[in-house]
Amino acid sequence: MITFKNIQIKYNDFVAIPDLTFDVKEGEFFTLLGPSGCGKTTTLRALAGFLKTSRGVITIDDKDITDVPVHERQVGMVFQSYALFPSMSAYENIAFGLKVEKQPKEYIQERVAELAKMVDLTDEQLAKNVSNMSGGQQQRVAIARALAKKPKILVMDEPLSNLDAKLRKSLRKDIRDFQKKYDITMVYVTHDQEEALMLSDRIAVFNQGKLDQIGTPDEIYNHSQTEFVCKFIGDANYFSEEDLETIGLNSKRFESSNKFYIRPEKIYLSKEKRGLISGKIVSKEFYGMYAYYKIEVNGVEFQSFQSESNTDGLEVGDEVSVFVNLDDILNYSDEVKSHD
Amino acid sequence: MIRLKRFNLGMFLFVAAFLWFILAFVVVPNFSIIKSVFFSADGVSTERLQAIVSSQRAVRGIKNSFLLAVTLPVTTTIIGILEVLFLEYFDIKGRKLLKVAYMIPLVFGGVMLANGYMFTYGSRGFITTSLLTIFPHMNPAWFRGYGAVLFLMSFACTSTYMIFFRNAFTNIDYQTIEAARGLGSSDFKILFKVVFPTLKPIFLTCTILLFQTGLMAMAAPLMIGGRDFETISPLILTFTQRPSSRTLAAVLSFFLGLMQLVLLYIIQRNERKGNFLSISKVKTTIKRVHIHSKPLNLLSHLTAYLFAFINAIPLIVVLLFSFTDYQTISSRHITLKSFSLENYQLILTSDTAYRPFVTSVFYATAASIIVVLMMMVIARFIFKYRNRFSTILEMLIHIPWVFPGLMFALGLVMTYSHPHAIVFNNVLTGSLVIMLIAYVVVLMPKTFRFLKASYYGVDQSLEDAAKILGAKPLYSYIKIVLPIILPTVLAMLAINFNGKLSDYDLSVFLYNPIAKPVGVVIRSNSSSESGIEGIALNFVYSVLLMAINSLVFFFVYADGKNTIKNLFNGRKTKNES
Repeated sequence: MITFKNIQIKYNDFVAIPDLTFDVKEGEFFTLLGPSGCGKTTTLRALAGFLKTSRGVITIDDKDITDVPVHERQVGMVFQSYALFPSMSAYENIAFGLKVEKQPKEYIQERVAELAKMVDLTDEQLAKNVSNMSGGQQQRVAIARALAKKPKILVMDEPLSNLDAKLRKSLRKDIRDFQKKYDITMVYVTHDQEEALMLSDRIAVFNQGKLDQIGTPDEIYNHSQTEFVCKFIGDANYFSEEDLETIGLNSKRFESSNKFYIRPEKIYLSKEKRGLISGKIVSKEFYGMYAYYKIEVNGVEFQSFQSESNTDGLEVGDEVSVFVNLDDILNYSDEVKSHD
Repeated sequence: MIRLKRFNLGMFLFVAAFLWFILAFVVVPNFSIIKSVFFSADGVSTERLQAIVSSQRAVRGIKNSFLLAVTLPVTTTIIGILEVLFLEYFDIKGRKLLKVAYMIPLVFGGVMLANGYMFTYGSRGFITTSLLTIFPHMNPAWFRGYGAVLFLMSFACTSTYMIFFRNAFTNIDYQTIEAARGLGSSDFKILFKVVFPTLKPIFLTCTILLFQTGLMAMAAPLMIGGRDFETISPLILTFTQRPSSRTLAAVLSFFLGLMQLVLLYIIQRNERKGNFLSISKVKTTIKRVHIHSKPLNLLSHLTAYLFAFINAIPLIVVLLFSFTDYQTISSRHITLKSFSLENYQLILTSDTAYRPFVTSVFYATAASIIVVLMMMVIARFIFKYRNRFSTILEMLIHIPWVFPGLMFALGLVMTYSHPHAIVFNNVLTGSLVIMLIAYVVVLMPKTFRFLKASYYGVDQSLEDAAKILGAKPLYSYIKIVLPIILPTVLAMLAINFNGKLSDYDLSVFLYNPIAKPVGVVIRSNSSSESGIEGIALNFVYSVLLMAINSLVFFFVYADGKNTIKNLFNGRKTKNES
């Protein structure tokens, strides 16, 4: 559906994206993930047509759109701030693109009603000025407006970043359900790993203008191909070769690696003394449904995440058995590729 | 950021025309002044500078201007700070009344105020006539010269403190005061050790602005200073009226320009030092303190009301006498039978009476609309296209801030008193259009600054959103950007209109005799040769100008639109219930 082939994007002399190649399938929820300044928004804006590429080709349905003007690309966009026109009502915002196209009044009314139904907006809400709407309602107006001209692709630039945590969680689900229900091809930008893992069919992880890994959320999280991806997605305990030996894990299995990571939830604890590794609980951070424990084994400290059902009776100072599945150790050498 | 831009021919042509406007009416006139100061027919010359040094009148004028410039900041600072403290720090009874009185200089200033003071304290003024009945041997011309000018300007210029200092003062974090009090400081010690040090940069800015006002003062020295206290600006006006001494006027205005440059430099350096900002996360507003010492409390109340009285009396006199007949105005003796609407009738019926007012309304409206429209386009151009050309253009727009209005007005008069190629060999001096051009030019920098700031306030993604939905740049400007910047546009229209409605300083150099603006007419009506009709008309002009100023002030600064809306909504709700 969408193809980026050897795309290069420059800001004057600075090369923001040196050479980018990837594709997005039809009906896919595709997320561009990475820290601030890594090039994800740049990539999205190049797809929408707001940025000129200095090299390479972008295609949509095999049609080269690299030099096609913004409004002819058939891309709908939801902006980070939603960019709703503050002087207009929700209805006027949604109808804006159709009015620009000089569509008949009846068609506009029909289409706005259809979109309002899609995004769950009532007639009363449609009549409201967007400035008087809640964050969730504004987001729905923004999606409806972006879809008004029936674009082939919907792109979203961190649409949840300005909202509070609770609303963000509920809207995340709405976006996902909506995308699945209407089978829309969506390209989504975020720096929030949890959001990316929960929403996406596939994730592209950006690092300094380059793609470190493209994969399903499971592949990205459990089989991070680079140390950067491993560290950026979720938490991970770092161990050197020496650390592994010290705590009693055999590093010989990972011959060409010298950096090891184990995610805290992959380290299991038990009060029963039946494991090979035994350690001591140094500290505990209790969060209700789960707890983080800091464990010390022969002078090496690391974190373990335990769900509420497993925290009972585990307290600071307790001696515990530590269990780790060797397959759960993510290992990297100074070179970037993983060998797990 | 690389953006996909299309060449906009309309914008290009507008910018080209604007560039011509700037060259013709900003660069060339100011350059002419500089040229006339340093060059004669034989080349570079110091002849003109020497002429100024050898002219006793000019030297005296410079000395007087410096005297006023140095003393005005001292007296105004004392009065201004006390007024702010009476309103915002000390618990003085009748605060609302005092506030109204202290705000008077904001709507009743310039030539209007000088006229008001003349009718109140002048040799035939209302107060002077009353005093003469008690003290028959007193000098009727007591309110004249340096002292009178300083007195008038000290109160008139408190508007600087009412705007800048009061705003900064009310933004002080009250918790710092509470902390000092908790540590045992007295209220007066807190004022000098905690409050004032944080306001030091504002003090300095106010002082510099007042120095500048004193140095360039026109209306007050001209109308009240008399021959005994001539300052630079009135001298420039006098010299300009005689073609033979115009070069002397040019040298004096160049001197003012130099001073302005120095002062701007000092202000900028002061701004760079930064302001003391509250670092509190939960800032609390100032609570007024009660003065516990009874004598001090009484003294504060007396001073507060004395200042209010001084501010209000010329305005009350003007307002009152505007509703009286000629006989009362002539005798300065009011009885119940004195009141009449004949002065207002005259304004409505007599062509000579309403013409100056209509002229000023026309010029102020036209200038305000032209400058706002022009700056909307230019600010948009500079905002959108950041490059060397737009940077230079932006600098050129600020030239009228660098050189004083007098220098520029004189430059216009001197440059375009003969055919000039840059204006297609037309003579503009004495024409109807030159004053309008001057108004537009002097209003440019402020209008530009505000409009540019409002463009920065527009979220760039709004335009991107319109673009992706297929809107053309002009369409998205009208539908999306304009509604957002409209409040600033309307405010600038009102402020500019207000600023030029009763203008005297610039107009007096440039007006056409068939279209005298009201500021110039007020000045000529206030002269001793003027008849009672002129004085009566001055009252009516002042009241009308003041009413317009107050309306603009109410709508632009005091949230008048919302007040009226709330009033209306309140009434509606009452009716409904």
